[in-house]
Order: sequence, then C-alpha cells, then structure tokens
Amino acid sequence: MNDALKIELPQITKANGLGTGPIPIEPYISPEWYEREKKQIFGRAWLCMGRVEQLPEANSFITTEVEVCGVLVLITRNKADKISAFHNVCSHRSNMLVLEPAGTASKFACRYHNWSYRNDGSCLGVPDRENFFDLDLKERGLTPIACDVWEGWIFINLQPEPEVSLKEFLGSFGEAFRDAPFPAAEQFFTIDVGNMRANWKVTIDAFAEPYHVPVLHTATVGATFANKLNPFSRPLSGNARGSHRTLTTFGNPDYTPPEDALVERLAYGNVDTGNVLGSDVNSLDAGGLQNHPAINPNRAPSWATEIAWMFPNFIIFFSPGGFFSIEFWPTSVNTTRWMAKVHIPVAQDVRQRFQQEHHNCRMGEIFLEDVSNLECQQKAMESGAKKEIILQDSEFLLRHSIETVMKWVEAATVREVLK
Amino acid sequence: MQQTTQSDALLPPGFGELEGFVAYWAGETNDIRWDRRSRAAMAEIRRFYDAMLPRGEDAMKYLEKFPLAEMPDDATRLFRLLLSLAHASMAVEMHRQPRAKFSPFPHGMHIGRGPWPQGS
Ligand code: FES
Ligand SMILES: [Fe+2]
Repeated sequence: MNDALKIELPQITKANGLGTGPIPIEPYISPEWYEREKKQIFGRAWLCMGRVEQLPEANSFITTEVEVCGVLVLITRNKADKISAFHNVCSHRSNMLVLEPAGTASKFACRYHNWSYRNDGSCLGVPDRENFFDLDLKERGLTPIACDVWEGWIFINLQPEPEVSLKEFLGSFGEAFRDAPFPAAEQFFTIDVGNMRANWKVTIDAFAEPYHVPVLHTATVGATFANKLNPFSRPLSGNARGSHRTLTTFGNPDYTPPEDALVERLAYGNVDTGNVLGSDVNSLDAGGLQNHPAINPNRAPSWATEIAWMFPNFIIFFSPGGFFSIEFWPTSVNTTRWMAKVHIPVAQDVRQRFQQEHHNCRMGEIFLEDVSNLECQQKAMESGAKKEIILQDSEFLLRHSIETVMKWVEAATVREVLK
Repeated sequence: MQQTTQSDALLPPGFGELEGFVAYWAGETNDIRWDRRSRAAMAEIRRFYDAMLPRGEDAMKYLEKFPLAEMPDDATRLFRLLLSLAHASMAVEMHRQPRAKFSPFPHGMHIGRGPWPQGS
C-alpha cells in the first residue's frame, strides 16, 4: 500500500482556527508599521533576554540593548540571588553606566564622574556631594525595568507598570512547557549576525517553517529533514498557544552521512546521526526531553525539532539531543540583529569536542544559506512587485505570528489581546 | 599553554608532515578557524583536507593522552588542526566550493563564543 499512509501528517492551520488567505506584505516593509510595532509590541510584550545561567553566581551581571526601543539594559544577580533589570543609565547626567557585556560586580561606578550604584540599583555614592543642591541619594538609584523569570528564562517588560504579569503573558504556553528540561543550560556557543538586511519578521520566519529545508538547505541538512514518506518535510504537529506557538518538525530516521562525507563519519563514528541538530548526538534523549508532554506532543516517531516560539521574537528549539535558542532583535524596519545560543555539554574527550566543532560549523553553514536568501527576499519584498505573500499549512507558525503581530499592533490594551 | 614536550617541533612526533599547515590551519578560536576556511581557495582547503583526514583518527588517539584543556603546545596545535578539519569538510563534503552557495562574504556572521576548549 501507499507508504505515505504510515506517517500521520495533521492539518494544522484550520484546526487552530486561523485564516487561510494571503498575507499583506506591508508589515514587513513599511516604516510606519515598524513605528507601531515598536510601541505596541516591543514596548508592551515581555521580552526574553536569555537564561539565568548567563548570570552564574552572586553578583554576576550582563548588559544588552533593545535597539528597537532604544533601551540599554543592565541585568544583575545580587548576593541574595535575586535577578533584576535596570536601565543601564547613570542618574547624574545620563551617561551609559556599565560598558562590559558581562562580568561580576557588586557595585558599578560611572566612568564620567564616578557616581556609584549597588547591583540592587540603589545609589551608593556621589563624589563631592556637598556641592550639589538638595541631592537625595535615595531618589537617585537606577531606573528599574520590570523583570521576571520563568523556567530559567529571564524576561523584561518595558512598560513602567506592566499591564499583565509574565505568567499571564505566557498563558497556555507557559503551562504547556512547565518543567521543560533544559539540558546543558550552562554551556553554549553563539552564532550571531549583527546587522542583517532583512525585517525581523522576515528573518524569524525563515527559522520557523520546514517547507524550505529540503530546497534551500540541500547541501547542508536537506536529507535529514525529508524522505520518501515525507518529501516536503511536513510538520508533525502545530499548536497556537495564546500569543505563542509551537510546531513539531519531521526528521528523516534513515539519514546516514553520505559515503563521501568522511569527516562527518570520522566525527560521529558509530553514533546514530538521525538528528543532526541535536546538540549532543551521544544522547538521543538529553535530559529526558522526549518525555515532556509539550515536546513532540503527538508522540510521532520521527520528530526532529519542537519549535517553541515565544511572541514576539524568541524561539527555543528542542530536539532529542538538547536545545538551542535564537533571538531576533529589530534594529530598523529592514535590519535585524540575531543570535543563536546552542547549548552543548562540556566535552569529555577529543572526539566529542571534534563533533561539537563539526556540529557548530554545520549550524553556521545552514544559517549562512539563510542569510543571503533573506537579504534577497527583503529586497524583493521592497521592490513592490507583490502586495501579498501566500502561506501553506506547513507555514502555520508564520501565519499565527503575523496574525498575532497585527492583533498587538491594533489592540488598545495588552489584556484585550490576551483574552 | 605549556611548553612543548621535547623539541622545538611544531607538532608531536609522528605528525611532522602536517607542519606546513600549522601557520594557517591551527587557528586559536572557532571563529578564526571558520574565517580562515572561508577565505581560503578551494585548492588550499582540499590540500589541507587530503593531508589531515587520513591522520584524523591517529590525532584523536594521540591527543586522548592529555587532559582536554592542558595539552602541551605541540599537541594543542595538532588539536587545532584536527578541529579545522571539521571546517574544511564543510567546503569539501557539503558545498563542494569554499562557502555556501550565494552566501555573501564577508557575511557579518560570527561565532562569538565557541565550545570549550579551543573555542573562544
Ligand atoms: S554621568 Fe555618570 S557620573 Fe556623571
Ligand atoms: Fe533555513
């Protein structure tokens, strides 16, 4: 009989109550739309900034920037292990306070006139204080940014008083992924592009649909995500979860490195490479990932990745061997900074370290195939030749994303979108 | 890095034929190794690949004698050459050209932090 019957490929878009029509291109190219996203989305949503392991000990700190809102962020862990976020801006004449991207410090001194602050934000000292006029240090601490942690992920919210809590914001997504395992959370390698010439949604969309993989990524991973039974790499499940969304992608269980891929064979020896995106190929069930109910929820036998996209701009990719994340930060209407953090166990021996280098190279090459493609797509979208794009069922995440973006942009309050 | 074990040789005994590759292919970080491969001509990548691949298994066996992060200088160079083989294989085994098809170069993509050790 027909082999295709052996894989269950669900209908996703309609089952999740989404539309099926074309999508306007305007939100991907319009400066006016971008201004609205800035205020309505990035100014109001909880934004994931990374994991608590990036602040490994008491008095660790990191700094970063939310370019789209022009906000400089300082995130600290104090000696009581409380994680807090502040505007990285000195209270004296508003200079940037901390310049290092990460480090350990219980207090920070501004290099301009040496005002100093504790890592709980309070102002500690002002040189020649008597020469100021009615200066009250208690009023001159760092300006806080709302900050909360969910399952080890740090979020900030740029509303001075967030309309909804992080828990409400994450909603059914947060519940579904409660207690999700994050193996090898302490070590990651990064691949980043500082300024890519494509809109942030154009960019993130390329990481959220398997339809392009057998085509664009033929050289690198095409063969690992499609086979005779599923030639177009159709997804194995898809779920709208409030403003967030998930999709299970297919992995070719028959994949073995090609005959002439001698280095790949050298690296992986006898290891089962059915899942090349798995960060730890030696463990095909890192941290018990396979047992979590939200990861591959349909329990399909040949799954490759659970794409867990937290609105608006952060994706966690679970695979049987581990997880990685990619964050996408708009820097203008048609430029994006993005960074992948690929979590891998600390190598135990030379071969494992060699595998990691190979894995890491391959991720880089896959991403490079996407980069040039996306810059071309942005240009073509801006050419005005087309007014809309067409999405198929495998592109469900993209449709849910743009529908959600439109809702947030239109909605007067956050609560109204979430209800 | 510690001092070289016995001699002034760049590589451990038995790996001398690879010495000519050290200057270019024993880059210190993941990002440097990636960048070097990306800038090399296909013939250069191929030459390194053809010389290093048959010694890959031997190199791994030799390097296993040392703790991962505390190898003598000559072994560290060999380790880095081995890691560069992974990069060379991207060109030889996947793209069959130095870089991904149609990919821009320089492309502005970086490995800001590589795996431990010899990563960043
Ligand atoms: S601006 Fe920071 S001390 Fe003056
Ligand atoms: Fe892609």
